Amino acid sequence: MSPLVEGLSYVLSLSHFPFLVIGVAGGIVVGALPGLTGSVGIILLLPFLYYLEPATALIMLSGMFCGAIYGGSISAILISTPGTPSAAATVLDGYPLAQKGEAGKAIGVATIASTTGGIISTLCMIFISPQLARFALKFGPEEYFALMVFGLTVIASVSGRSLVKGLISGFFGLLIAAIGIDELSGYARFSFDVPNLMTGFPMLPVLIGMFAISQIFVELGNVGKQLQRYEQKIKGVFPSWKEFKRLITVIIPASLLGTFIGIIPGTGGAIASFMAYNETKRFSKDQDSFGKGNLAGVAAPEAANNGTTGGAMVPLLTLGIPGDVVTAVMLGALLLIGVRPGPLLFQQNPQIINALFVGFMLAQFLILGLGLAGVKVFPRILKVPISILFPVIFALCFLGSFSLNNSIYDMLVALLFGVIGYFMRKHGFAAAPMILGVILGPLAERELGKALIMSHGNWSTLIRSPIAVFFYGISILSVTYSLLRMRRSKPRGE
Amino acid sequence: MIASEIVFGALFMLLSIFFFAMTFSFPEITIALSPTVFPRFVTVCLFLLSTLLLVQGIGKQRKIKPVKPREKIDRAYLLRFILLAVAGFLYTRIIRYTGYVVATPLFIAAAMLVFAEKKWYRIVLISGGTTAVLYLVFRMVFRVPLPRFGLW
Repeated sequence: MSPLVEGLSYVLSLSHFPFLVIGVAGGIVVGALPGLTGSVGIILLLPFLYYLEPATALIMLSGMFCGAIYGGSISAILISTPGTPSAAATVLDGYPLAQKGEAGKAIGVATIASTTGGIISTLCMIFISPQLARFALKFGPEEYFALMVFGLTVIASVSGRSLVKGLISGFFGLLIAAIGIDELSGYARFSFDVPNLMTGFPMLPVLIGMFAISQIFVELGNVGKQLQRYEQKIKGVFPSWKEFKRLITVIIPASLLGTFIGIIPGTGGAIASFMAYNETKRFSKDQDSFGKGNLAGVAAPEAANNGTTGGAMVPLLTLGIPGDVVTAVMLGALLLIGVRPGPLLFQQNPQIINALFVGFMLAQFLILGLGLAGVKVFPRILKVPISILFPVIFALCFLGSFSLNNSIYDMLVALLFGVIGYFMRKHGFAAAPMILGVILGPLAERELGKALIMSHGNWSTLIRSPIAVFFYGISILSVTYSLLRMRRSKPRGE
Repeated sequence: MIASEIVFGALFMLLSIFFFAMTFSFPEITIALSPTVFPRFVTVCLFLLSTLLLVQGIGKQRKIKPVKPREKIDRAYLLRFILLAVAGFLYTRIIRYTGYVVATPLFIAAAMLVFAEKKWYRIVLISGGTTAVLYLVFRMVFRVPLPRFGLW
């Protein structure tokens, strides 16, 4: 039986397929709700994943990832508030369409574009990942250490408005990662003789605190505010055949662009969607209609942001380095469920990889089905009051923190990092760099230690490998690019 | 008003100095990677970056005109934040004595009140219903040993 058919029979079995459906549906809901992003969705899913088989957990995670990226478009179109950052470009034409009474068609186009983007990027992932993984099998600790350094340079691109604050957040994460027993020497660093600190801060409660609980505190700012609602009746989901033929010429290039951008670490859906929007507008014969409700202005960003999903999985699965915030959280999730991404995963657990490939592809079709079927339900999701939503999520956060180690201490850790995360966010310190530091720090230190053991403490071993030097080179390029981008995006005079 | 860059710059600076000083109590290992190397590298970088942030903050502070009105602090928001954080803290403290089934609806109800929920039937239904669903899923399906009332 071919590996993909094997994967298909695994995913389609009754004991696994419902988890994919739940993942996609949950992702759409999470993505649609402003304030909840794909990262938060993945984190909220973690307590459940821990009790599933790794392959099942992985397909559920994929469903959540893809569903959330698509779901962001719903609130962007209906209430002009992107559910996720990658749907920000969809607001530009999606909301004017809703104002014209064409919300149904806008969501329909977003669904078709997202599905196409997802399918194209999944195909690229299926073809590219095994080749890259085969090449990465040659990597030793020196190359892995260089790779982790490259992964850490993503901090620069997810730093938010201030690079200095982003880097501080990243190094703070690395410092937190240094707490606990050092793997090489067995010495408990910064434990202050507190038994709970001997093993360091548990990763899951830190993730829950930094992303989910801090967001709940931020949402307190919306108490008493009149939030936007979509009250019109939704009708007419499908574009006409003439419109579809015109849109497909936009959707396919945008999907390819999104996939390509997704593969590059440090980019992500937001960049891809704005680039696709700009390019579509630039090549359009009717540029003036953009921003006033042009269907192509919805199709291009949605195809591109869902195109990044499969693309971002390539470096994550083959090299173990996250490309953006969601994949950084995904990496943490994979480590927690006992799946260590990297080339060995392809060699040792091909069934997990096959299930993931098939699950990812089926998730796209589920997005199409659930997206088109749920058009009339979506405005109701947006009506859930925050006074119900966030207290329930808070209770789930605490339960999730507890359930991994059955520890009340872990609940306290989640709350502590929730408060820290809240203050950091409030003062412009992005949470993503810190999480990258917490996740990649120990991996980088471990590989460095291994490399030094093998070379009997000779540090020059780190620059002997041409592959390692290549990664150091692109790390420098990555940081330089982020610096230039940040400088360009700053208004004059600032 | 002091720029937040100054406060956070100083805070991270002190933190890095404290943690750097602590590394001198770690054992030195000559083979391979000593447990001091990684934390020292991180704390030195953190110190340099927080210094930069502090300098940025001082520069920003000078640009702030003295006539600029003081930024209004939303007291209601601050109070809600404190109440929610305290409710969360109390929840983690009482759950070991009262058990999950008693502590959780109380916590959810408190959080709903902080989020300005006024309808009492919603508070009762959501706090009780959520606790029941979560208990069933995690205790019955996943077999997680959730905290129980001390006398049970």
